[in-house]
Parts: sequence; C-alpha cells; structure tokens
Amino acid sequence: MAVSALRLPPGGLQRLGRRLGTVALTLLGLLALTFFIGRVMPLDPVLAVVGPDADQSTYDQVFKRMGLDQPMYVQFSYYLNDLLHGDLGNALLTGLPVVGDIKRVFPATMELATMAIILGTCIGIPLGVFAATRRGKMGDHVVRVISLFGYSTPVFWFGMMGLLVFYAWLGWAGGAGRVDLAYDGLITPVTGFLLIDSAMLGEWEVFASAFKHLFLPACILGLHSTAYISRMTRAFMLAQLSQEYILTARVKGLSERTVIWRHAFRNILVQLLTIVALTYGNLLEGAVLIETVFAWPGFGQYLTSSLLLGDMNAVMGCVLLIGLIFVFLNLLADALYQVFDPRTR
Amino acid sequence: MKVRTTLKACVLALALTTAPYSSIHAATPADQMIIGMSMNNLLSLDPAAATGLDVATIGANLYDMLVELDAKDPSKLVPALAESWKISDDGRTITFVIRKGTKFQSGNPLTAEDVAWSLQRVLKLNMALATTWKSYGFTAQNAEKFLRAPDAQTFVMELPEPTDPKLVLYTLGASPSAFILDRKKVMENDKNGDLGNAWLTTHAAGSGPFKLDDWRAKDSLLMSRFDGYWRGAPKLRRIIMRHMTESQSMRLMIERGDIDLAVGMSVSDIQALKGNKDVAIESVKRGTIYYVAVSMKDPKFADKRVRQAIRSLIDYEGINKTIMPHYGILHQRPVQSGLSATLSNPGHKLDVPSAKKLLAEAGHPNGFKTTIRVLSDPPFMNIATNLQSTLAQAGIEASVISGTGNQIYGAMRDRSFEIIVGRGGGGAEPHPHSSLRALAYNPDNRDEAKLTNFQGWRTSFFSPELNQVIEKAEVEKDPIKQITLYQDAQKIYDQQVGAIMPISQMIETEVKRKDVRNLISHPSATTRFREVYKQR
Amino acid sequence: MTPELSPAIAASVPQQNGQPQSRGAALRQNLQRSLRRLTHNPMTVAGLIVVAMLLLVALFAPWIATHDPLAQDLNNTLKAPDAAHWFGTDEYGRDVFSRLVHGSRITLYVISLVTVIVGPVGLAVGTISGYFGGKVDTVFMRITDIFISFPSLVLALAFVAALGPGLDHAVMAIALTAWPPIARLARAETLQLRKADFVVAVQLQGASSTRIIVRHIVPMCLSSVVIRLTMNMAGIILTAAGLGFLGLGALPPMPEWGAMISTGRRYMLECWWLVAMPGVAIMLVSLAFNLLGDGLRDVLDPRSE
Repeated sequence: MAVSALRLPPGGLQRLGRRLGTVALTLLGLLALTFFIGRVMPLDPVLAVVGPDADQSTYDQVFKRMGLDQPMYVQFSYYLNDLLHGDLGNALLTGLPVVGDIKRVFPATMELATMAIILGTCIGIPLGVFAATRRGKMGDHVVRVISLFGYSTPVFWFGMMGLLVFYAWLGWAGGAGRVDLAYDGLITPVTGFLLIDSAMLGEWEVFASAFKHLFLPACILGLHSTAYISRMTRAFMLAQLSQEYILTARVKGLSERTVIWRHAFRNILVQLLTIVALTYGNLLEGAVLIETVFAWPGFGQYLTSSLLLGDMNAVMGCVLLIGLIFVFLNLLADALYQVFDPRTR
Repeated sequence: MKVRTTLKACVLALALTTAPYSSIHAATPADQMIIGMSMNNLLSLDPAAATGLDVATIGANLYDMLVELDAKDPSKLVPALAESWKISDDGRTITFVIRKGTKFQSGNPLTAEDVAWSLQRVLKLNMALATTWKSYGFTAQNAEKFLRAPDAQTFVMELPEPTDPKLVLYTLGASPSAFILDRKKVMENDKNGDLGNAWLTTHAAGSGPFKLDDWRAKDSLLMSRFDGYWRGAPKLRRIIMRHMTESQSMRLMIERGDIDLAVGMSVSDIQALKGNKDVAIESVKRGTIYYVAVSMKDPKFADKRVRQAIRSLIDYEGINKTIMPHYGILHQRPVQSGLSATLSNPGHKLDVPSAKKLLAEAGHPNGFKTTIRVLSDPPFMNIATNLQSTLAQAGIEASVISGTGNQIYGAMRDRSFEIIVGRGGGGAEPHPHSSLRALAYNPDNRDEAKLTNFQGWRTSFFSPELNQVIEKAEVEKDPIKQITLYQDAQKIYDQQVGAIMPISQMIETEVKRKDVRNLISHPSATTRFREVYKQR
Repeated sequence: MTPELSPAIAASVPQQNGQPQSRGAALRQNLQRSLRRLTHNPMTVAGLIVVAMLLLVALFAPWIATHDPLAQDLNNTLKAPDAAHWFGTDEYGRDVFSRLVHGSRITLYVISLVTVIVGPVGLAVGTISGYFGGKVDTVFMRITDIFISFPSLVLALAFVAALGPGLDHAVMAIALTAWPPIARLARAETLQLRKADFVVAVQLQGASSTRIIVRHIVPMCLSSVVIRLTMNMAGIILTAAGLGFLGLGALPPMPEWGAMISTGRRYMLECWWLVAMPGVAIMLVSLAFNLLGDGLRDVLDPRSE
C-alpha cells in the first residue's frame, strides 16, 4: 500500500505548480490589503516618533522623511521593489530593519509553538485513538468533553489562570518572559531557541530556568491543539475502523492492539501529519494572545505592538511572514494529500 | 503495578526538581541592578529624537549634561560638565566654563566644541526635542551663530530672543536634548548627513558613568560600568532594564527579589506591597499635570457657562482619593505645584445642581451628547470612566473613546475632539513659564497657525489678556514682580475658565528593594545611578 | 481558534454528499426525526439549555441583575463576593454579577450581528461563484483565498486597528474574517447542485440565473450553512473576547466579558473573581455553542451516520 501511494498521481506536479503561481498572487493581494488597512488607520506613526509635544515643522519633516507625502500607489510600489530585493524596509518607529527585528523575535515564538505542538500531538493522538476505540462509551464522551473544553476556553484567560495558580500561588512555573531576569542576555543566540542554545553551551541553570518559563505557556497553547488533534484523530480512526480490512484482521485473530496501531493507525498517519502541520500554523494565532499574557518577547507581541503604534512596515513584514507560513503549510498539507492519499485520485 | 511505581518516581522527581526553585529565588547579584519598566515608549536612544521620560533616565546614565538639577531640590542648579557659568547683565548671554580633562567613553577628550555641536545638532535635526529650543528662538539656521565655542574650555550661548535665562539653564539640566555627545565618535557613524541619527538610535557615545552594552527594543537594555568616569567609577557593575508591562508580574518579581526596582506599577499592586518589609515605596513629583480638556472649537464648549458646568462636574475629591493615589495629588492650577509662584487650589468641587443650572442657562437643560477621548491605560481610563458617570448626573451623555497616546493626542493636535482626559504641561523645568507655555499660552488661534505643541492652541483657548501677562512675566527681571505676574496669570486663567481643567499634579511611584541605597528618583526623570549600591 | 481549524481541510477533504435532490427533500421529512435525535444526545441538550439560558438572561437582564451594571461606588471597590455582591465588585465598585448578566446581551448582539452579515454574504459569494464558474469563480475564490490564508484573529486585529476600537467595528472585523469559510462551503455545495437534474430542468424552462440561485440553490445549501454558522458562533465569541482583551473590542463602560477580563487582570492577584467570573462565562457559552454545533452536525451531516 505504501509503495503504490508514493507514486505521483497524474497531473499532480502540474497542479502543484499552478498552486504555487496562485500563492504568489494571494500573497500580493494580502500585502495590498494590509497596505490599504495601514493607510486608513487612524494611527499616526509620525506622532509616535516626534512625541506629543513636537511642533509642526518637526512633524512635517518626519512625515516627509517617512515617505508619507507620496501617493499611496507610489509608496506601495517602492515597498514591492524593496521586497523583491529581500528588504522589508525599516520599522518606521525605530528605524531598525524589519528583517532583523523579525529574526530576533521569531525564534521565541517558534520555540513556544514547537513545544506546544509536541505536547498537543503527544497527548492529542492517543486521546483520539482511545476515543475512537470506545466510540459512544464513557471514554469517548470524556475525551469529547475535554476537547470541546479545549476549544471553548479563551486561551488568554486560561493563560492568566495558569499564571495565577502555577506561578503566583504554587511557584512551580517561571513567570513572565523567557527566562529569569538574572540570566537575561547571558546567552548569545545561535539558533534563537533558548533551550537549544543553553544546552549547547552547557549552561544548565539557564536551561532549567528557560524550561520553567516555557512549559506553562506551551501547555496552555498546546491544549488547543490537543483538542483539535484528538478530534480529528478520532474521526480518522473511526473511518478506518469501519473498513473491511479491519474486520478481516480481526477475524484473522490479530490482537486488538495490533489491529488498532499496526493497521488502522498506520493508515491515518498522513492525514494526521497534515492536521499537525495546519495546527502549527494556527498556533501562531494563539501566540498573539498568549504572548501578551506571558510577556513573551516573540512575534505576536511584536505584531500587536507595531499594529497599535501604526508601524506599517513592521506590520506588513509580519503579515507577509504569517501569510507565507500559512500558505506554505496549506500547500504542504495539500501536497501530502495529493501524493499519499489514494482517495483523491 | 510497574506503571504505578514509575509514575510515583516521576512525581517524586518532579517535586524534587521544582521544590527547591521556589525557595532559592535568591536576590539579584549584589553588583547589578535589575529594573522592571515598560519600554513601550522607548523608540530611539538618540537624545535629539527622544520622546518620553524613559530616555531621560537612560541617557542620564550614559551621558553628562552641562548642569544638573539637584534631585532633592530641582530648582537648585548643580555644576556638572560646566564648572561654572555667568549670565550677562542684559540676560541675553550665558558663558560656561567647561571642566578640563574630561574624557568620553571612547577616549576622546570632551571639549566645548562637543558641547556646542551637540546642541546645534538638536536644532539641525529638528526632531522631537528641538521644540523647546525653538521656543527660545533658536533655529537650524542660527544655531551655529548663537551656540558657539570660542575655545576648548568656553561655551557661549546667546539667546536669540529675550527670555528668562534661568529657564534656559533649567532646560539644559532637564531636557535629554542637552546631553553632550562625542562629536568625533558620532560623526564616524554619520550616514548621508544624518549627523549619526540612525546610529545613535541604538548606540550611545557619551561620557556618562555607564556604557550601553545592548538594547533590544521592547525587550531589554543593558549597561555596564565605565571605569574611566570623571567623577570616579560607579559602584554597580551592570544595570539591566527589562521591558515589563504587567504590573502584577512586576509585583511578584519584586516580592521575590527578581528585580530591584519596579517603575510604573498599578495602584492596587503598590498598595498590596505596603506591608512588605523587603521593599520601599517612593513617590517623586513630576512637572506634568493630569487634566480634563474641552475643545473650544466646539460651539458648546466655547460658551463659558458650559465650561464652568464641566468644571463643576469633575469629582476632584473622589478621583484624587480613590483613583489617583500613587499617580497624582489634587491640583487645580495650570502651573505645577511646589513653585513659589504657584497659588493654592481655587477649591473647585463636584457640584451637580450648580452645573445643571449653568447648563440650563446656556441652553442645555437636558444636557447633550459628547465624547471623551482617553488613553486606555490607568489612571486615564479610570478618570474618564468616573467623569462619564458624573457628567451623566447632569444629563450629559458622554461616550468614552479609548486609544493609544498617539490616537488620543493625535486627535487633539488636529483639534478634532470634544473632551479629552490627558496629561501634559511641560514642567520639565521647575519654572512657571514651562507649564503656562504648554497649557495656557496661545499666541495665534488660527487653524493655519498649527501651533500643535501648545495645548492652548489645541483646545482653541485664546486669551490675549493672558498671553500678554505670560509674555511680560517671562522677561521680568525682578523676581518678586515676576511671581506676582505669574499669580495674575493663574487668576485670569481661572476666571476665564480655561479649556484645560487641571485635576492632579503627577507623581510617579517606584517600588524598590530595601537593600538598594542612594537611589534618588529625579523629578525630571534624569535619575542617576552612579552613586547607587546595594547594602547586603 | 475556531473549531474548524483550517478551511483548507474542508477543501481538501472531499465532500461526500449524497444525491442533492434526495438530500434536500429528506431534510424536510427528517426534520422531526432529527430533532428527536438531537435531544437524545445529553451533551447537545446541555448545550441547548445553556444557550436557552443565555437567551433568557439577555432578555430579562434588567430583572435578573441585582444592581445597575454601570453604577459606580468608589467607596466599595474590589470587594470579594458576598451576599450583597454575588460575584464581588470591580475597581469602580460596580457589581460584577450584574455586569456579567448585562454582558450576555453584548455577546448575543455580536453573535447575531456577525451571523446575519456572514450568512448572506458567504451564501451569495459561494453560490454565485459556484454557479457561474469560470472567471467569476476564479476572482471570488482568489479573494476568499487571501482572507483565508491568514489567522482570523490577526486579520480582525488589523481591521479593528484600522477602524478604531468599538463594538460595531469589532463586529465588522469579525464578519470580514468569518465569511470566507461559509463562501467556500456554499460554493462546494453549489458545484454539486449545478449539474443536478432539477437545476438543468429549471434552466430549460428559461428561468433566470438569479431565480435559480435564489429559489433553488440557496435553499439547498442552507442546512449545511446553518450548521457551519452555529459551529462558528463559539469561534465568534472567542474572537470577540480576544479583541476585547486586547482593548480593541467594546468600549468602556460596556460590560463586555473579554474587556472585563482585560481590566480585571490588573487586580488579578487579590481579586481573582474579576478575571475568573467573566472567563467562566465565556467558556460556558462558547462550550454550549460548540456542543450544539457538534450535535447538529451529528444529526444533519450524513457522513456521521
């Protein structure tokens, strides 16, 4: 089965190519949309730079220097031109290159999201399989309620409650930020993943501190993915378990464990992979809120604070990146389907 | 069975690894100070482009000034880079003698040329902090003429327009624009004639007691000791400023000794720390004033009776008693409190019946609809919410529009608002003119004038009589007469019901660990850490 | 984070609908049976009860609330729950319970307004796109793609930042991000219906495209769109709360639940009730809608049979 699935379906590559073409178009549309939003925003980036007490001549000068006196389409074309040269421009407020900013903040979010997805997958998949085998019984209902709770809890609220209980009351978790303050700035980022960087240098104290800070937000973010992953796993498993070959296997007298894990589960792996990929993209969204709660110096915070200050260059850089990630993950999920899933052809 | 024992072992291991942590939260290292504060307003470290008070604190430790204002008595000028200074008899020229043998952190000698160049640079760049200097008549064009260094040890400042030289000296001691930069070092990093502006955004080139190691925007800022400091090396080895916006996190961290100083905590958290023996709570007065402002461009508020009604619909007592502790102290004058010219409060009170009467006389017996614009942060939001409910008692239905500083003050600059709850009024210089210039003075009320830096213009409050008194007081050489004039100005302002209604004098409350010594918060925010140490 | 994580899944998992005609007809016949089945599932019933309670509370809010939700009492701030104030008071001395009760109206307002906007827009775009195909389809679907290729909260955030904070702006922003999945769904259904015999028959009779879409295709798509809308409601509640939490939703002094959490956060260490109560309210209501949507899908979606 695995061998035959590996063969590309006819026209698959062509379809993929066409999709890649539309991806570029989608991203362009996304940029234009954000650019437009940025222009109608009632926020004034100039004011953020010159402060509330500056006089008009200073204001006008900065306005001009930021290129805001040009017509909108000219500004947009400049931006696109720079973009083609790999330059996302400078953040309007600080004058620092957006690319550098994103490079700095993105690993923090990646670290959080990766930890969350690992947790989500490790818990979600067994839960889903368990629920599928107990369909309609108590176990199934319990898993269902747990996962629905996962969907229904506002992630920011859960984060706050977690902080209250595990940090303020029990003192188990590290508080806000990525690491205890005394260790701040001791590790020069190599990968940007604090856990990896500190482990590579053998700084185990920093590692422990970073882990304590990471665990709670990752758990909370992971809960949402757990919910989704377990639901999807259950659905996929149920579809498999009703198939003929499972019956055959059971009739052959294989143990239930073998039937479930060796046969049914193996067949849903690809589907699960696509789900996990897509969930990963969605964690970015949860990160916006969770990072605010945990003062996590990541991408979500960078995006929201830039947005609130009207720093459009920074916002557009972020939008482009998120768009890219989303499109890429969607593409990946699609490709996996095209390549592996026999049913699509 | 086996599973259960493994589980038990795991739980035990977990307990063992986590338990010690909560207790070994040892204090911060003795030669380092960790400060928790919001860095949201910290956009550039360039003294010429600095906005907000945070840059003043950071810059005061990276750079030096010609003169300093005494932290305990800000009206007292203390020599710094300038050993002495002399004001000419006509009050138009100030001559400074620059301290000999001072070196920048780069090793370059500090001379009067650096001083002149640093101040000229502020005007040539024409960024945020040029505004104050322009109000004294300096421009990018005349900067080299009026700010000059005849020799390496002499700096001469000539005032283009008559003003009170004391006020200018105060600006030199309070405004971040007066930090002295290392001209050579900065010009090495000049890009397309920007006078090093891009480079200085994230770097520093000064002679101060601390060197800038690293600044990550909205994350952290690290400084370390400069051993060659001319006053002698500071006691602390390292200062870490950490971006923290959550008051509750700051509170937990200062309780545990994870940070040594917390700036900008909310009232409830400060109150909760009151009984804590390990921390000290200190308030420092700032020059700015919390106010409720109305736009007199709006015909309703152009009517003096309506303004009077609004003035008696502010619950001064309630606000200052429940909302403002640790944020401000009751104050109802457009001049900052504590100056010899400041009059005592006129005693305005919440008085709904008389407000109703005034509104009825003005033709609004059933009140009207309006909007209150306000920053979404405490205490602004709390004041606005309170104002909303007191206005409602007189039938005025106000909706609150909250936003970032940029949105709120942006609307004010465009003169497109009805009511604003805000804070302002210069006040960096301990001089009545500083407050009055910012809050009440408005030399030209036309829209085209765009005097956006004057809040008087922003609120369309225009009183030729008051302008005249303010102008006269500024150049009055006799101190007694000057005080009388400033008191007249306050009386006129009160009689004419100015568009800006002061409610509180700003104070800032900081929480620090008890073992931190010699840390004196400066009213102008130029808090200096060079004498700070920890007593353990 | 809405339950239906990614629209791409919906698109990539082929819809295995039965024959359209029989499905449409069966729907009406089976309505009663469906209802019976719906009420058989205890969890769905629980969801229904909570939603019904929300409706009742919102309807009778002034009678249920013990205090004026906006009345300040600065002498009675931050009081823990007791007999006078069941859920305590907030930083202005306002009664938290009464604010929660009145907040249910805001929640309901947001849900219904978003649904009322999103349903018709999504249906229109989807059916037109699916019915006409070709260029129209390409253009519409490209636009949908742009909106879909982005996390809804971030997009809503950007819109509200552009429009300025406010409840109605938040509603518009959420609606803007919520219509594409509906459009995709409607399009997928339409694609199946377009070649169905009865549509071809009406076409031969000379009916106009508008008529065919409005009279024949839209009613057929309705059931799945309604399920999807119900399931979206939980997501809408959470997004609205998220916006409120970031200070971009309802303006003060409106007792919006997310905003209540956001301001309560400042006092969280002592006054847990300021944060816990509205959070539980959000969770309950959103859970109820999820349960309801879940149950509806089980009943109406032939795939689960």
